Amino acid sequence: MVCVALAALALALAAGTAHADGKRSTAGKTLVIDTTFQLKSADPARSGEPTGEMIDKPIYETLLTFKGSNVSHPLPLLAKSYSVSKDARTYTFKLDPKARFNDGAKVTSADVVFSLRRVVNIKAIASAFLAGVTRISAKGPSTVIIKTATPNPALPYILPNSALGIVEAKVVRAHGGTDAANASTADKAESYLNTHSAGSGPYVLKSFDIASQVVLSRSPRYWRAKKAYFPTVVVRNQTAPTQILNVQRGVDEIALDLSPTQASTVRGNSVVVQRTASANFVYMFANLSPSISSVTSNPHFQAAVRYGVDYAGLARLAGTGAIQAAGIIPSMFLGALPPNAGVKHDVAKAKAEVAKSGINNPTATLTFASDVTLNGLSLATLAQKIQSDLAQVGIKLNLDGAPEAGLLDAFRAGKEEMGLWPWSPDFPDPNDYALFLPGQVVGMRATWKAGSSPQIESLMKTATTSSNPAVRTKAYQQIQRLMNASGPFFPLLQPGQVTVYTKGLTNVAYNPVWFVDIAAIGHS
Amino acid sequence: VFLALGITLVAFVLTNLVPGDPAAANLGQRAIEDPAAVAAFRKSYGLDKPLPMQYLIYVEHLVHGNLGISEQTHSPVRHDLAKFVPATGELALISIVLALIGGVSFGTLAALQRNRPTDHLLRVASLAGISMPVFWIALVVLYVFFFRLGWAPGSGRLDPGAEPPPHVTGMYTFDSLVTGRWSTFVDAVQHLVLPVLVLAAWNMGLLTRYARSAVLEVLHEDFIRSARAKGIWGPVLIFRHVLRAAMPAIVTVLGLLFANAMTGSVLIESIFGWPGIGSYAYHAATTLDLPAIAGVSLFVAALYVSVNFLVDILYGVIDPRVRVG
Repeated sequence: MVCVALAALALALAAGTAHADGKRSTAGKTLVIDTTFQLKSADPARSGEPTGEMIDKPIYETLLTFKGSNVSHPLPLLAKSYSVSKDARTYTFKLDPKARFNDGAKVTSADVVFSLRRVVNIKAIASAFLAGVTRISAKGPSTVIIKTATPNPALPYILPNSALGIVEAKVVRAHGGTDAANASTADKAESYLNTHSAGSGPYVLKSFDIASQVVLSRSPRYWRAKKAYFPTVVVRNQTAPTQILNVQRGVDEIALDLSPTQASTVRGNSVVVQRTASANFVYMFANLSPSISSVTSNPHFQAAVRYGVDYAGLARLAGTGAIQAAGIIPSMFLGALPPNAGVKHDVAKAKAEVAKSGINNPTATLTFASDVTLNGLSLATLAQKIQSDLAQVGIKLNLDGAPEAGLLDAFRAGKEEMGLWPWSPDFPDPNDYALFLPGQVVGMRATWKAGSSPQIESLMKTATTSSNPAVRTKAYQQIQRLMNASGPFFPLLQPGQVTVYTKGLTNVAYNPVWFVDIAAIGHS
Repeated sequence: VFLALGITLVAFVLTNLVPGDPAAANLGQRAIEDPAAVAAFRKSYGLDKPLPMQYLIYVEHLVHGNLGISEQTHSPVRHDLAKFVPATGELALISIVLALIGGVSFGTLAALQRNRPTDHLLRVASLAGISMPVFWIALVVLYVFFFRLGWAPGSGRLDPGAEPPPHVTGMYTFDSLVTGRWSTFVDAVQHLVLPVLVLAAWNMGLLTRYARSAVLEVLHEDFIRSARAKGIWGPVLIFRHVLRAAMPAIVTVLGLLFANAMTGSVLIESIFGWPGIGSYAYHAATTLDLPAIAGVSLFVAALYVSVNFLVDILYGVIDPRVRVG
């Protein structure tokens, strides 16, 4: 029947109903980006998923931004400059007086205050980025002051997030928006912001279909001299196998979700394959609670796992571009350990630790989300490799894979004996990884209680509150070295990040926050 | 009404038996640790109330035609269904018509040529059609006709950035025709060719086998022998007597195939970037989006009931004895 169907296709094509040559006649006019949608809303206050970050970035300008792939230096965008108090609790932003929304209205401090308060009070994903912010206020028409309860040196690294984009308060209010304390129920502007835009960015929203595609148009009234190159940008929801075909056949096209293995099948001179380490990382933990497991709570068992995993083998399995995670902080962020500082695979040492543990035939259950892939890498594949590695040192791992939605409750309650999980950065600052430390949210998933590691906790205080980058770097590196020596967490790898695009496109740079800066992309 | 109550009750119970929290599945890794964000999420979707209360509220809304708000799209489920069902409907309708024409023709031909080379060839081809995984056929077809030959467009319902036609039914081919947008109509037809053929290939294989078996059975009936004895041969015998008697069996399968195509084409939708009801249901299930799961369950139940009802009516149209009975 396939033959019959194909014959019918041939007839249909012969009848002239099919595409002339499969290529679009829109070269230089339309940029097409294929990705598997993780998208719920175009409203920045309700966004925060990866695709939403990418789409909102060129629509809603933020106070600060990053350039290209470099996320170590926040740069001014709507804020012309900013200063921070000595105690790192008060940030003052001076807005660019030339900044205009796309309807010509001036961007004022009132718009910034409205936008950020709305994010906080809508209490969606992005509200967590501003946790600890106690006051957002305006001082005059172009000065904004943000105060935090505790010193927060990460704030300049958080503010570039597209979900914290600045909306035009008057327009959003006119369509049901509010920044009041009850905004989570009272704000009704989402449907408007899913069909229109109210930002100051180089693009405006033309159409938004959460299942198929989002279309952006270059704003005719963008306030900066440098306009975006492409008049139209189409972001399409496509699976990775379809992306491979589309990008090789396409014109001005980008594929964002190919795994390193899939990218290796890309042929021809018409595309560029850009490979780098992703800012995502995969880790494993052993629960420290004896009531959860007498095996995984044994420090010698933890050491045996630490030295028993073949990290280089895992990175090879993950494909070109993947690297061993030297610590919990990804290689491109402040505070990351040098690549050679990671734990070394040592079978003899691991076997010795198993012997020291006093446990006969140590057995544990490793839980992982069987439906989760990170940069095209399946956690199930990694789990099987780890099981095989640890079997060689005398540890039996039972693999317990299940859909993620069904695992989250036990994971968050700290009831998993051993877990294999991914972590994607919420913002490119090491404070995002302080959650892994004793007494913190992720730390408690391994029952790593506050007070159990005084040295690490003391360093954590310095690392999370100091406004001196050098001091923070040193403290975070010390923390990770101590974690690599003992403790419940085992950083495994950063998968390879592959971006494939058609030749001729310029400034296609992977950014951990918004994948690619759509407005920066041009054509040679 | 009882069916709707039963289905929504089962959907509610089963979804809540899954050891997962919709808030954890929908809020990010950071926001889920913020009690205020979790409370706001639960309140927004009515999850802060006891389960029986949630169900009663849902039923009360259902009576007023309100299927709730989807946690994944933030839109009313009714709007989502109105958007996603026509996309799949367009695919399923055209493919099933194609499968019906091809399947009945080939099945009848195979039966008439029983145990001859044509019969063997068609049986092997139909077996291949139902044996090959649909996602594999989809990828091969996309590779050959889009990537290698460039004869057909790639994924999606229209070319990138093309404006959809004004909404009439949600089926782009029909909507573009009635609104006079010819270029959009051509674009929509071109994008339909590959997914329709892939979906039709499987259905055609199955229908060929059923049609062959039904026609063979009828060919051995006494009334066919009598007709032949009276000198009725050729197309008159086939169309007026054989096929008419074989049609009830074929129509039964056809109804089920159509309902299957409407609800089970998630792989084809994924590969061809087709925003249909299958993909919507899949994402609803993986994010524990209860209103969407219940809405899709209701739609599927209504679809099967309607299709069976239609099939029953068709029995009467095809076979006068059923009408009389």
